Amino acid sequence: MASIFEKLWRLGPAAFVLKAIFAAVVANGLLLAFILLRRAYRKWYFAKRDVRVFELRKSWDALISGEIPFETWRRKAFDRGIVETIVLDAFEAAGPEESARLLKFLRTSGLIEKRIFEARQLKGWRRMRALVALGRTRAPEGIPALAEGLRDPALETRLAALRGLGRTASPQAAEEILAWLGERGLTVPPLPLQSALVQCCVERPQLLIPHVQNATGHLREVLGRVLGDVATPSLGSDLLQFVGDDLDELRAAAARAMSQSTSGFAQDVLNELARDPVWFVRLRAIVSLGKLSQRRAIPALLRGLTDSNRLVRLRAAEALVGLKTEMVPIFEQVVAAQDRYGLHAYLAALENADLRVQLEIELQASTRVNEEDKKRLQNVLQAGSLLAEEPATVGGNIKSPAGQG
Amino acid sequence: MIRFLDISNHTLFWYYLASNLAYLTMLIVAIKTSAAHQRRLESYRLRWIGQTPLTPPITIIAPAHNEESSIRVAVRNLLENHYPQLEVVVVNDGSEDRTLQALTEEFRLRPVRAVYVPEAKSALVRGLYRSDVDARLVVVDKEPGGSKADAVNAGLNAATSPYVCVVDADSILEHDALLRIMVPVLEDPKRVVAVGGIIRVLNGSEIAEGRMKRVRLPRKSIEVIQVIEYLRAFLIGREAWAQGNMLLIISGAFGLFRTDLVRAVGGYRPRAIGEDFDLVARLHRHLLEQGADYRILFVPDPMCWTEVPSDLKSLGRQRARWQKGLLDVLWPNRDMLFKWRYGRIGSLALPYMWLFELFAPVIEIGGIVTIVLAACLGALSREFFVQFLLFGYAFATMISIGSVLQEEITYKRYNDWQDVVRLVTYCFLEHFPYRQVHMIWRLQGLWQYLHGDNVWRPLKRKGLESASVR
Repeated sequence: MASIFEKLWRLGPAAFVLKAIFAAVVANGLLLAFILLRRAYRKWYFAKRDVRVFELRKSWDALISGEIPFETWRRKAFDRGIVETIVLDAFEAAGPEESARLLKFLRTSGLIEKRIFEARQLKGWRRMRALVALGRTRAPEGIPALAEGLRDPALETRLAALRGLGRTASPQAAEEILAWLGERGLTVPPLPLQSALVQCCVERPQLLIPHVQNATGHLREVLGRVLGDVATPSLGSDLLQFVGDDLDELRAAAARAMSQSTSGFAQDVLNELARDPVWFVRLRAIVSLGKLSQRRAIPALLRGLTDSNRLVRLRAAEALVGLKTEMVPIFEQVVAAQDRYGLHAYLAALENADLRVQLEIELQASTRVNEEDKKRLQNVLQAGSLLAEEPATVGGNIKSPAGQG
Repeated sequence: MIRFLDISNHTLFWYYLASNLAYLTMLIVAIKTSAAHQRRLESYRLRWIGQTPLTPPITIIAPAHNEESSIRVAVRNLLENHYPQLEVVVVNDGSEDRTLQALTEEFRLRPVRAVYVPEAKSALVRGLYRSDVDARLVVVDKEPGGSKADAVNAGLNAATSPYVCVVDADSILEHDALLRIMVPVLEDPKRVVAVGGIIRVLNGSEIAEGRMKRVRLPRKSIEVIQVIEYLRAFLIGREAWAQGNMLLIISGAFGLFRTDLVRAVGGYRPRAIGEDFDLVARLHRHLLEQGADYRILFVPDPMCWTEVPSDLKSLGRQRARWQKGLLDVLWPNRDMLFKWRYGRIGSLALPYMWLFELFAPVIEIGGIVTIVLAACLGALSREFFVQFLLFGYAFATMISIGSVLQEEITYKRYNDWQDVVRLVTYCFLEHFPYRQVHMIWRLQGLWQYLHGDNVWRPLKRKGLESASVR
């Protein structure tokens, strides 16, 4: 059998081109016709839809309250679609009272039932659409159908179900997600999963603990991050088991969660985590120390200010600036550390918080610093650089790393 | 001689056929991808992305050079973007006008000692400022570096977020553009390292206070033709290349990158003519050499509106510069061609760029010469020649209409019937004489580069203020 190239060659360019011209002209005609017909149809459709939306909106309260029997619009797919869209859009901006009213309407009108049925029975993008709508209702009775959606072979459908469960923000949904994870493992991208779990576990973060203990690999990291986000003081001692975990992500999560702890050991644990070899664990520990905002954290924060990682230095500086009652002693120690990157990070944080003038005033008024040191510190504050520091360049292309000022 | 001309004309025929088939394949892939993307968006509620605490911070870097008239509006527009954790770094790249003063007056700038670590090369920084009106705004004032890349590098050094979004200060970002461009990152943050957004033509549209009020087609033919070119390039070309993870260009007017990676490759190359293409090529090289599992994607719905040249001279300069930029990137990366370790980039994307983008004007002009010679020597089948022209015309028109169709079935920004009719009409008109003039500009670009004229020059633009008046 001859190859396609041989066939084309035998056909000869001229004959081939003639056919190609014909095909291209036909394709052009079809494309143009499609564009024009589609435009015309859409114009007609949206005009019709706008009129109907206007009519339905005019009698919206009667429609929602059931004064207008649901059957008058529910049987017509066109009207049903409009009503559902309006209700779901209203949901996004509704307060608790309005949400309850809308949910009651969705229940009594049978719209939720219909979506549950579709989410269970349909396939492909129709199922995905039903799951999205169901999720937007935030109705607890939709949770089982959404959980079934998590087992769909299509990723997009699973994601729609996951986001829907996240929207319900209920522990029941969290249980469904965690059960599914135990059964199937990580079959969706981590971020939507994290987002959904954060929303659902806020009320009962304890749900996560056994799953974090039993999970392995990447899933354990993801669950650890969720735990870090939703941890409350009540978890206190449960979190301690993760402080020495082999997984960096889990130590970071524990560090993050410790910021919520009111117990005395949180400070010690965070001091320890602030020395971790992994930079993002140190970062989390420093941020948490900043949140706890205790004097005892100052040595660890000062150490963070001279960290090799830029982000750790920045966050340590922000945390130190946050300790407003200790501004002068902290500044003294920052200068004493003789680390110009640390000093610049501190001064940047100070200026971003608009506290430079306050530090100047406090320094001036301070009685515990002798005059000579006071003058030296004032000079550093004014110049933005250590006295021994070269005034010129960092890396050769900036006048001073601190810029102008 | 006649034998040579015959072979040459046959080669030309097969070259055009291959080029058109490649575009047809891209059109089919792009239509399929767009449809899937539209469906995917149904399950996304952008507001949810905005509300989750997991959405990572972004620094917008906007280099500005002599933008006194439009900088206020442009920066306000950037600050009004709907994104939860946003930082805007405007780089005043040695403006000779009152750009910095305008910013200082409008946003009450005060000098700060913000952390500036010069990891990427840029010209001397004179000072750093933060706004008292909106603390998210940082202004880097620097000496002129002679290129946009140099200015972006300064912004990169001042950025504090894990992602940077590079935009042109005279462009308009739609307000949900950042949320939209982050969708692929949120789906797969470990693998997605860069995302390109779509650039659309601003000329002719009505804007007020930095916001797009009404999208309209421009009046001038030359601008309408560019609208079609942009639709073709973005909605077909980039969409399709990104599907195979072979996207080589993320437009300098709107692109999102992972900050650490851009810093790891040394930022933008200050002397690069096509700095956007150069950066993406270096990112591919860096990641492929490390054997990283990564993705560089294109998202067709976060829109950035930019002004395009409205006169032939400026357009000619821009296209010559693009061609120079192409050669400026392809030549240093020639070692990536057909090397196993560079995967699809080395075996498909770069060869395509060499053959169908860089050499295209040379082959076109060669084709015209051989056809004329063949005609003079009586070796040209007149019938075949006419058919060939008709085929080329009909096929190229089909691709252009295809891009208009893509726009119609997906984003549909031109709502006016009149605009669509004009757009479709220009799909038939753009091939003569615009295409031939375009070829000459591209040849000029190659000529200039080969003769050592490889300096980046900014284009003259009217600015945002002018776009509001139709």
